[in-house]
Amino acid sequence: MSPRDVGSGIVLDSVGVTFGGENPVIALEDVSLEIPAGEFLAIVGPSGCGKSTLLRVVSGLLEPTVGTVSVHGKTAEQARSDVEFGFVFQDPVLFPWLRALGNVLLPDKILGKRNPTHGPQTEELARRLMRDVGLAGFEEHYPAQLSGGMQSRVALARVLIYEASTLLMDEPFGALDEFTRDRLNLQLLDVWARARTTVLFVTHSIQEAIFLADRVVVLSPRPGRIVHVATVPFTRPRPLELRYEPAFGSLTSRLRSLLETDGES
Amino acid sequence: MKRNEWTAIRANLFKRRWITTSKGFIPAALLALLAVAIWQIVVVAADVPAYIVPSPAEIMAELLAESSWLAADLGWTMLEAVLGFLIGSCTAFITAVLFVHVRVVERAAFPWAIVLQTIPIVAIAPLLTIWFGYTLVPKVIIAAIICFFPVLVNTTRGLRAVSNQAMELMNVLSARKASIFWRLRLPSSLPYVFAGLRVAATLSVIGSIVAEFTGADRGIGYVIVQASYRIDTRLMFAAIALSSLAGIVFFHVIGWIEKATLRWPEARLDED
Ligand SMILES: Nc1ncnc2c1ncn2[C@@H]1O[C@H](COP(=O)(O)OP(=O)(O)OP(=O)(O)O)[C@@H](O)[C@H]1O
Ligand SMILES: [Mg+2]
Repeated sequence: MSPRDVGSGIVLDSVGVTFGGENPVIALEDVSLEIPAGEFLAIVGPSGCGKSTLLRVVSGLLEPTVGTVSVHGKTAEQARSDVEFGFVFQDPVLFPWLRALGNVLLPDKILGKRNPTHGPQTEELARRLMRDVGLAGFEEHYPAQLSGGMQSRVALARVLIYEASTLLMDEPFGALDEFTRDRLNLQLLDVWARARTTVLFVTHSIQEAIFLADRVVVLSPRPGRIVHVATVPFTRPRPLELRYEPAFGSLTSRLRSLLETDGES
Repeated sequence: MKRNEWTAIRANLFKRRWITTSKGFIPAALLALLAVAIWQIVVVAADVPAYIVPSPAEIMAELLAESSWLAADLGWTMLEAVLGFLIGSCTAFITAVLFVHVRVVERAAFPWAIVLQTIPIVAIAPLLTIWFGYTLVPKVIIAAIICFFPVLVNTTRGLRAVSNQAMELMNVLSARKASIFWRLRLPSSLPYVFAGLRVAATLSVIGSIVAEFTGADRGIGYVIVQASYRIDTRLMFAAIALSSLAGIVFFHVIGWIEKATLRWPEARLDED
């Protein structure tokens, strides 16, 4: 696939989200971002700063209180109903009555012909994706019979089956050990490089953010604002050893100090 | 692992499971046996006349002696109960689906469902008998009414027991309403539906027997009424034992269907 037109990316214009109720929370304030199509953007920030809210606004699941979101020239809501998004939620959100393979195939069942990979070979694709995320042999297990980390990998395979043009990933690897996480990071980069999807990737790990992303957005809590957008200078493909290089380390500590000073303000 | 090892492990698991489930019945069976034994001893020792309280042995003898025509009456009562159960439960299910999808229907109809629930069925049974005579119809209606509410309440709750996140997943996939119903709402409601059906199963037997009291020419309720005129306590006890047995069997049949339908782990709401 050819790289998508940069002008057709995701544009957030002074987006703000306030949750009402007895004690209103300003989850996001004045967030403006331009994400060119095909970019890998990481979002870091302390717990409760509005990362999940940001993804939900981009995906059209949540209407911003103020500001506008445009995705490939459409409204977020329009893009959502055109199934432009693949969303990996913070929790795996598997259906307990479906086996692992059934969960991976769920988007295909719902989308039918709207799924670009729909066809007689879809089940084979689902099995391959399960192998890719290291779950070969667990196709017939029910979610309740899988560990937390395995469940989140089922959710990952499920989102990859319909090749959405934009992937929104909310701490997809949070429940995984370091080795599995490394492996899946490389695999995700592989998918991204092949399909040139746009990726918005929320993580708590600054290292993971820098390793994966073209740019890293740092959010501050209450109200959730963008305090910094760092461009990651490293060329691709990036080997895992990159993380031990001094330049990588100094960028890590720079972002970490941004997050720390931020907690005091 | 080698194939035969797996087979051995599976066989072992199966055996253990079978033992534990059959073990589950043992305390209850022992308690029943104890109660029956005490009953028998007290009745014999105190020389209680059979027309007041017959002994379990006498009841058993009565059951065996009259089994052929008692079975026919029981079959009739169960036909009424099962028909009422099916009609009542299906109506309740459809109503619940309507409630969940069209809010205004729920606001309009739910208060009246409660009113229906508060009307004592013994009060409407004679009315239905006037309208429909000594036929099957009043009994089926009573059984249906009595099944309606538990299934309605449980199904409504089940159809709503869908997490926001699961809904968001469906929305990201731009799923249509029908798709959301069949793939999300319905399966997640099934454990609740079955909880309601199990309650309804036992109630339906009670409903049809009560309806028979007010006008019938066959059925267990009819047998009980006739026996009471003749102060045939033995027959009354035999009929009571039979109807309760039928209720228990119906309850377990629904339980088996539930087990066969809900295959995923932790599906059943009250599984220990
Ligand atoms: N549905 C909601 N109703 C009310 N307040 C909400 C809702 N969702 C989020 N919030 C509030 O918005 C703020 C941001 O929440 P959000 O889930 O986006 O944080 P987050 O950055 O994803 O945190 P974490 O890293 O812990 O997942 C929080 O203070 C939270 O209390
Ligand atoms: Mg979050």
